[in-house]
Amino acid sequence: MLNFTPEERKVTLFLLGLALCSLVLNNLVKANCRIERMIYPAVQLAKLNLNQVSLTELAATKCVSMFLAQRIVDYRNLHKEFSRLEELKEIKGIGQQRYEKLKELFFIE
Amino acid sequence: MKRPLVILVVFYGAGIILANLIRINFWIIMPIAIVVFAAANIWGRRNRIFLTLVLFLALLIGYLNMRNSWILSSCHVRKFISYQDGSLYSLNGFVASQPEFKNNHLWFILRARQIQSNNIRYKCCGEILVKMDFEQALNYGDNLTLMGNLVRPPGFGLRQSYRDFLARQGIYLIMPIKDQRQIIRQENSRGRGLIRGCFWLRVYLEQMINRYLPPLPASILAAMVLGQKRNLPWLVNNSMVKSGTVHILVVSGFNVGIVAFMVNLLLKILRFPRKARIILTAICLLIYCLITGATNPVMRATVMGLILLVAYLLKRQPDIYNSLMSAALFILAINPRQIFDVGFQLSFVSVFAIAYLYPKLKALIHPEVWRINILKFIVEGCLVSLSAWLGTLVIIALNFRMIAPITVLANILIVPLATLITLCGFTLVLSGLIYPDLAHLFSLPTAALITLLLNINAVLIKFPFAYIYF
Repeated sequence: MLNFTPEERKVTLFLLGLALCSLVLNNLVKANCRIERMIYPAVQLAKLNLNQVSLTELAATKCVSMFLAQRIVDYRNLHKEFSRLEELKEIKGIGQQRYEKLKELFFIE
Repeated sequence: MKRPLVILVVFYGAGIILANLIRINFWIIMPIAIVVFAAANIWGRRNRIFLTLVLFLALLIGYLNMRNSWILSSCHVRKFISYQDGSLYSLNGFVASQPEFKNNHLWFILRARQIQSNNIRYKCCGEILVKMDFEQALNYGDNLTLMGNLVRPPGFGLRQSYRDFLARQGIYLIMPIKDQRQIIRQENSRGRGLIRGCFWLRVYLEQMINRYLPPLPASILAAMVLGQKRNLPWLVNNSMVKSGTVHILVVSGFNVGIVAFMVNLLLKILRFPRKARIILTAICLLIYCLITGATNPVMRATVMGLILLVAYLLKRQPDIYNSLMSAALFILAINPRQIFDVGFQLSFVSVFAIAYLYPKLKALIHPEVWRINILKFIVEGCLVSLSAWLGTLVIIALNFRMIAPITVLANILIVPLATLITLCGFTLVLSGLIYPDLAHLFSLPTAALITLLLNINAVLIKFPFAYIYF
């Protein structure tokens, strides 16, 4: 019958294990769409929530100065919250170019 | 002397540092080096004198190489520019790097061949950085004529400025391009075919990863497997820095090791003979080094890997310190200024710390005598992580003003996971090349593992005193 070398055994086991995991996950995703949300990383792990971000966190992004970070927080306090990312452009000091940078950094919830 | 290369590289490195501190003319030091060289030849049989002279010569060569690296050739593009004039220059050359779209600009390095100013043309050499305000389909080797101002990179008066960073790579000028009319594309393309092929492969593999995974996991996998950090979100990178696990997002010895292991395994399964297997693995390592952009950690790992393969071919026992120092010597001989690069320092110091401290720490605890294998594995992992952390502590604290005690624990949890993700990533890419439907299936566990990694990291950095900025 089949005569596997130790290396072949390792590769075969890895590939079969991966295929098995893939099938289990695929099946779970089909059965319940919530599982898909668990498999793919949440947006919170990659972006900051503009309605919750603190002044220190904003300044730490190094995309805005402390002065501009303060303006963003002031704008948020004044309008209670941001409803769209485009509202950032209404703040003095944020033009199209800076907005393009900032929209990669934040999300709104 | 058991490890002569270690001592030689230490003296060579000291020479480079000395050249940065004490500035003496190249032609004053050169005769001294020649005299020392002659003396070493004359007293070649007297062991102690010979050794002293050779080490002194290594120091002088380090000094001379560093001094020489500051001197630009007479045809260098920088020599034609007067910084304050704001004149327009027409520069002909070819694209010497893979253009990257970052921060709303397209960046690439142009290797200059001809410069025109006031209707006078000169032949020139050297590289400049081009910053374009719009996207354009450009590739490595494209022959271009650019028209615009040439400006110095911003310095901001900092100790480690962007200007210094670029100068270490031999770039002294930036050409901002704001309009499409400033570019004229010439017909013939230049550059090396092998590098062009490697860049094409990198773009192709990146597209494949993007095809099978959503943007966030794709950006992480592209960073881990191809060293392409362009699309990596700032928050992910920052949280990895805080937990001291950012090294998994950089192609380093860890990835090079996995590539070597995979290629060797595949060739073993295909019943290739031993010699052919070693040679093909070495070729694959070199290609992988070019695909990932030949950065310092990849260069170090590739040179170390090649030394290991040669030792394996010649059936000799490789020595980690000698192979590490060979890699350092290789990089510093080409560009001595790399010694001041933080990436270079971290890459070498971390490996040195693991090689030196890990056996000493292990000897204190003796985990090899323990009966529970899982406990042994965890403790050994902890010791490797602790050794690397202790070794790089000072460099990280001085450069990033941060200490992250969570690093030891984070690496225990994240490194095995990153290994699995890298293996899954390579399987995904390979299956995508052979059978795309299979790649769709494999993308699910890869994405799930990446999500797990990000969640673990997010939890770890929330621990009290996980990281301290000062």
